[in-house]
Amino acid sequence: MALYEVKAEMTGSVWKIVTAAGETVAPGDAIMILESMKMEIPVIAEDGGTVQEILVEEGASVSEGQVVARLEA
Amino acid sequence: MDTTTPTKQSSPPTDWSPEVEELRRRRADAERLGGSDAVAKHHERGRLTIRERIASLVDAGSFQEVGKLTGTGHYDAHGALKSVTPAPYVMGLAQIDARPIALGGEDFTIRGGTSWSGDRKKGGQGGFVEDLACEYRIPLVNLIDGSGGSVTSIHRRGHAVFPGVHGFERSVALMSQVPVVSAVLGTAAGGPAGRAILSHFTVMVKETAQVFAAGPPVVQRSLGQAITKEELGGAHLAVDTAGTIDNAVADEASCFAMVRRFLSYMPQNVWELPPRVACGDPVDRCEDALLRIVPRDRRKPYNMRKLVELVVDRDSTFEIQPTFGKAVITALARIDGNVVGVVANNPMVYGGAMDVKAARKQTHFIELCDCFHIPLVFLVDVPGFMVGRDAEAAATLREGMRSVYVALQASVPMYTVVIRKCYGMAGMGTTDKNGLDFKIAWPSAEWGSLPIEGGVAAAFRRDIEKHPDPKAREAEIEAELRALASPFRTAEAFGVEDIIDPRETRPYLCRLINAAQGKLRTTLGRKAKYGVRP
Repeated sequence: MALYEVKAEMTGSVWKIVTAAGETVAPGDAIMILESMKMEIPVIAEDGGTVQEILVEEGASVSEGQVVARLEA
Repeated sequence: MDTTTPTKQSSPPTDWSPEVEELRRRRADAERLGGSDAVAKHHERGRLTIRERIASLVDAGSFQEVGKLTGTGHYDAHGALKSVTPAPYVMGLAQIDARPIALGGEDFTIRGGTSWSGDRKKGGQGGFVEDLACEYRIPLVNLIDGSGGSVTSIHRRGHAVFPGVHGFERSVALMSQVPVVSAVLGTAAGGPAGRAILSHFTVMVKETAQVFAAGPPVVQRSLGQAITKEELGGAHLAVDTAGTIDNAVADEASCFAMVRRFLSYMPQNVWELPPRVACGDPVDRCEDALLRIVPRDRRKPYNMRKLVELVVDRDSTFEIQPTFGKAVITALARIDGNVVGVVANNPMVYGGAMDVKAARKQTHFIELCDCFHIPLVFLVDVPGFMVGRDAEAAATLREGMRSVYVALQASVPMYTVVIRKCYGMAGMGTTDKNGLDFKIAWPSAEWGSLPIEGGVAAAFRRDIEKHPDPKAREAEIEAELRALASPFRTAEAFGVEDIIDPRETRPYLCRLINAAQGKLRTTLGRKAKYGVRP
């Protein structure tokens, strides 16, 4: 079991958080959806696992490379 | 200097066997590289020797070494040969997929592969191997594993060498004549690092290779920064962050496979066409998935990589810079066996907006394809240049206009397929303004000087403000304009040459690209470029 960080790949705002701490996600699933350049861009959990922590709230601004969630795979 | 070995035979030899025997010994010394200890240490670092590298890169048995005897001879008091320390550079002719190439690389096991020169330089920066590629008009492959110049050369020469005295002028000349590929296989600083950049395609190995202008000791002295060489120039920085090197691979075997793959799309030189291969994939393959791939909801992105694969020949896609400037996808591929360059905006990253990295990547790729007469296919979904303070501070506008500039200067046939958005100057940079300007669109296409929703509030501000329900009025104007923005209306005006069922994309492109072969065949050669890139 290893803890890993999920980063926002781009600057934007958090439009919708679609998972919560404690939930299990499959590799490639979205954790949250950002709004950037008027598009809904999913933030993907590459390796899947259990969501430990969501570090942002809906409506918050995020920047490229910012850690937005922690997962345990 | 007497280079023959005295023999113990009492009668004089009747043939040249003694010399041939000496030749064998000299060649054996060359094969030993820096000696078994140095080779073992090199292997421990997870690296192959230059001779192992060449053997695993080229067609079996095709390597014809040139200059194997070059090195420093050691002689006894009678002038008899004891041994030769080979020059730290191995090079020659070989074949990849039965086509000749020139290749060479530093031998790190001898003095760390530092530069060496006798009467004539073997390679590294300029040298015989680059002359060979130039004169025979064959691709050049650099296997880079050297740390460049050494301050000790001041001792040897008695003076400091003026920068750029040897070699780079040839490296620059090659860029408009033959494909040049550089594989960075060790820690490359200074000259060898610079040599790598003067290439059409660069690849490096993760963890065992690093590349930088100057390494950690220089950084420490100049800036007081303590940094590891992996942090300073490993693949994560050099490939993913900086785009200094195009692609990264896990090990040397994958690196050589990638070099071969890249060259499979390249002509031998700019006077020949890229090789066409037999196409096993039906040209009339019309994938139903293409009808569904673009969501009707304009805010929802989709998988552009998958879209590319549904259109081009099966398994023919080779992505250049997949981890850098990800708002655009640049890939070599084949359509009915003909090589094409695909430039596809990626809606998953900034909605496909062109940021400074994507612009740089697109500029290089267009120049690469134009140079080697590879037609370009733009799969367009670009809302424009990236916006915002960060984007302006990074000079997105300037770098974006450079990409527009090279597209408008390119003379290779280009095809514009508008998948969804095609807006503004970034959109203009996807069209063949210098040629036929052939633009086809999917029914999901939309275009203009800027997206409607961004422009309505500004252009109709007074109309909206004085309305009792401004929000409703804004939506009303948007709907009105959107109806007029239907791609069919532009097609009526022949402002776009065709609108197609997305499933027809492959057969349509196959026909267009086959039809362009005559133009390609009759416009070969070096591309003259004038003017100043903005």
